[in-house]
Amino acid sequence: MFRKQTFGQYAYKNSVMHKLDPRIKIVSVVVLSSAAFLIDSYSKIMIFSVFIISLIMLSKLKFSALLGSIRPFFFIFFFILLMYIIFSRNDLNSGILTIWRFILFIAIASILTFTTTITDLITAIEKLLKPLETIRINTRNFSLLIALTIRFIPALFLYAGRIKDAQSARLGSMKKPGQIKVFIAKLLDRIFSSASAVSDALVSRNYDGRRSSYFNPIKLGFMDYLSLSILIIVVLWII
Amino acid sequence: MIKIRNLSFGYEDELILRNISLKIKEGSYTSIIGANGSGKTTLAKHINSLLLPAKGSVIVDGIDAKKDPAGTRKKVGFVFQNPEDQLIYSIVEEDIAFGLENLGIETGRMGIMVKEVMKELGIENLAKKNVNMLSLGQKQLVALAGILVMNPKYIVFDEPTTMLDNKNKKTITAMIKKLNKKNRIGIILVTNIIGDIKDSDKVIVMDKGKVSFYGNKSKLSKVILKKAGLDV
Repeated sequence: MFRKQTFGQYAYKNSVMHKLDPRIKIVSVVVLSSAAFLIDSYSKIMIFSVFIISLIMLSKLKFSALLGSIRPFFFIFFFILLMYIIFSRNDLNSGILTIWRFILFIAIASILTFTTTITDLITAIEKLLKPLETIRINTRNFSLLIALTIRFIPALFLYAGRIKDAQSARLGSMKKPGQIKVFIAKLLDRIFSSASAVSDALVSRNYDGRRSSYFNPIKLGFMDYLSLSILIIVVLWII
Repeated sequence: MIKIRNLSFGYEDELILRNISLKIKEGSYTSIIGANGSGKTTLAKHINSLLLPAKGSVIVDGIDAKKDPAGTRKKVGFVFQNPEDQLIYSIVEEDIAFGLENLGIETGRMGIMVKEVMKELGIENLAKKNVNMLSLGQKQLVALAGILVMNPKYIVFDEPTTMLDNKNKKTITAMIKKLNKKNRIGIILVTNIIGDIKDSDKVIVMDKGKVSFYGNKSKLSKVILKKAGLDV
């Protein structure tokens, strides 16, 4: 079941959005998401939604895939709406607007994850955080931490599955508190031994917290500057 | 040449390696065999400077591991028992390039080197795959590619086939032999299985932190192996 797990669900398409510099995409996500929560009128949010839909189309992103990203949040939307109906029926418009903003937020984030590889995301984060090096924060370590987390999340589920299977094979049940304790202890033991081995692997491959070259370098181009200009215009319009 | 002189190492009160001295020639195939807890992996980790000598010295091609551990690591690669823990990035070709990024190799050259090593190991088709989707044998080949691409003079293999099925075991064993014979890379194979030492020129038998035998494979007797706690 873990083999089907993917993070970010990146899907290669020959689109403008795929070719944009990941730094521009990350900055855009932060700015557009904030903008979505600043909008307070139906007319503006309608125009903003059209803008986001055009970005989705530029990404060649399937609406069914987008719907798949939004679906897990349906329960939260329902809960928000229910709260407004129960406690603030007169202000139901605000509730609808809040849900709308959330949907836009998920759509914006999905554009980023569907059009950007994890490595590009990590490189972009490393570059965007570069100013922090002036206060001696190692951005390479930070980006590697993200890469390792993404890399080892499926492995973690796999270890958990194996321990659970081993317990079940000997009639153990996760319903018993004692068995849960054993499960957690075994999982932690595996995590620590794995972390130690990964640390050895990093050292043996000459990792020293710095890097001067990139396998997949990122570079700002004309389309990136154009996108940044459009982003500034949209934000100014909203404010 | 790897020169180990009077090497001792221990954790807290327990001494794991006791006064070890030996020389490993360039381009040779040396197996380190011993029972569990005999200190063979600890010795192997000293060759790659993952551990530094508490007493004595490890010198790789004139580089003292204590003075320049990174320098010795550039000469000696290390392939771990469990490839699962050796792969850092999620995408195969990016993981192979990880060591080259650390060495500061220029991007264009890096791409060529990664392609070449994947071709040599016959894993070009895996380039864009997620490492979590690979079989254990494929993961071990990717782990080997990540080391091989750094162009080491020696490679330490720490029980590389223990977790593999027979088919993958044969592939990895054949690959190790090829690297030694064709590419003239010095191989140091750590194992506790006697059958694994068949391709080696020299054998080091470890017993309770000491070297009980070091010499040509032909001179190795069953008595020595039995004494070291190995099944003959």
